[in-house]
Amino acid sequence: MKRDAGEADGDLSDAAPASSPLRKKPAAEAERQPLPEMVETSNSSANANIVDAVDYEWSCFADDDRMQQPSSIAEDEAAKKPLIGDKEPLSALAEEYQSGSPILLEKIKLLGEQYVALRRARGDGNCFFRCFMFSYLEHILETQDKVEVDRITAKVEECRATLQNLGYTDFTFEDFFSVFLEQLESVSRGACTSASHELLLETSRDQSTSDYVVMFFRFVTAGEIQRRTEFFEPFIVGLSNSTVNQFCKTSVEPMGEESDHVHIIALSDALGVPIRVVYLDRSSCDTGSLSVNHHDFIPDLDTQKEISQSSGSDIGNFSKPFITLLYRPGHYDILYSK
Amino acid sequence: MLDVSRVQKELADCNKDKAISGVSIDLHGGDGDLSHLAGTISGPVGTPYEGGTFRIDVRLPSGYPFEPPKMQFVTKVWHPNISSQNGAICLDILKDQWSPALTLKTALLSLQALLSAPEPDDPQDAVVAQQYLRDYPMFVATARYWTETFAKRASVGIEEKVQKLVEMGFPEALVRSTLDSVNGDENMALEKLCSG
Repeated sequence: MKRDAGEADGDLSDAAPASSPLRKKPAAEAERQPLPEMVETSNSSANANIVDAVDYEWSCFADDDRMQQPSSIAEDEAAKKPLIGDKEPLSALAEEYQSGSPILLEKIKLLGEQYVALRRARGDGNCFFRCFMFSYLEHILETQDKVEVDRITAKVEECRATLQNLGYTDFTFEDFFSVFLEQLESVSRGACTSASHELLLETSRDQSTSDYVVMFFRFVTAGEIQRRTEFFEPFIVGLSNSTVNQFCKTSVEPMGEESDHVHIIALSDALGVPIRVVYLDRSSCDTGSLSVNHHDFIPDLDTQKEISQSSGSDIGNFSKPFITLLYRPGHYDILYSK
Repeated sequence: MLDVSRVQKELADCNKDKAISGVSIDLHGGDGDLSHLAGTISGPVGTPYEGGTFRIDVRLPSGYPFEPPKMQFVTKVWHPNISSQNGAICLDILKDQWSPALTLKTALLSLQALLSAPEPDDPQDAVVAQQYLRDYPMFVATARYWTETFAKRASVGIEEKVQKLVEMGFPEALVRSTLDSVNGDENMALEKLCSG
């Protein structure tokens, strides 16, 4: 149904110039000169209703046209790929750029010195959160690190309290929290077998479960940003020129809104999980020696102290992220080190 | 699948302070269908909508709360961001800015806020928007007239009209839906019921 409407939209949008401010409106409505006296008799009100019936579909399409057509193309393209892909050797990345920029090929070669594989995420605007989800749960599955599970469970409860303090209604976020905790429970329950690994992949690819966890991270991120408004404000003003609150409403909480360094800092801080982002872009320095830049997002110092106390290790040890994401402008995938 | 338990919590949450908030939401029909709801908004004080009660048709897609609720004004309203023809609403949170962090109540409150603060530069109804920008006093007069005509009549004595039509021998459910479709105009409802 939705797709049919989308195709009809396309026809209409082709016929109307994109720049016309009246594009969305049916011609009949634009020509009407509505004055109070026009609707005084029930007769003309009946006429208006007839016009309604004729115009109804037209205006629906015109409206959908603006809102849905571009996104439906992107969605169709994205839907061809799984939410989380299979592990691929790094050479698959090189193949993508075979006829592309030599800088990128050189950088991919350098990446090969430290990393062996990548796992792609669907480019639907949620890729950062989805990569983080899979990478984190896979880490817990493989290490069965009970200390870490207890630590993050406590952190999740802090995030819940943060949202409550900020005035979020419980039922808006509780389902998303429980789905994440269920997933965490499921990967920390036993040994890492090929079956349990398969199950993780399956649930991460299941649209519903996967989206619930993504939304959980969006809540956590929005909560952290608003809890530390003063810290995040300068970043947000620089990025979007909106208030912290607006930023969360428009760029963090809606699904499909892409993530920036603000989101990464907030999520990493809120959950106390360090994240490494490796940047694959065409930048190079003049000295001739090429290097692949990376940035480690390390949770703020307080969180670090908490963690090193609970795990008995020192801060230096802690700062090595076990989650590594590959960033190409506009998109995140997961990287696996040697 | 529609998250039924969440919708039930939302209904309770929205209605618990409706006297203060000025918005409420109920099931649309008596069949317990949680995907079709009826919202009401009281017109904000100090606007041309003051004193009016505006009814909103609310449909929840199966992907709710990931997908936005579909909302449309049933009560005719004269406003730059609402179609004077079919009640379609131009509001970002009902489209790409929707988030599961929002609720039916916050959506209805946003509609109420929209009545207070029209955005004629991003219109749904170009004619109304043009009037708003070029002849503001006429806009206010028209909006007020529409409120008087459509947003007050419909809410007053609807039960009496239902009763009267039911006594004429029409089934109650049909009477209600027909009255709905003509914004509570008793004569038009009768005409429609008779023409079958």
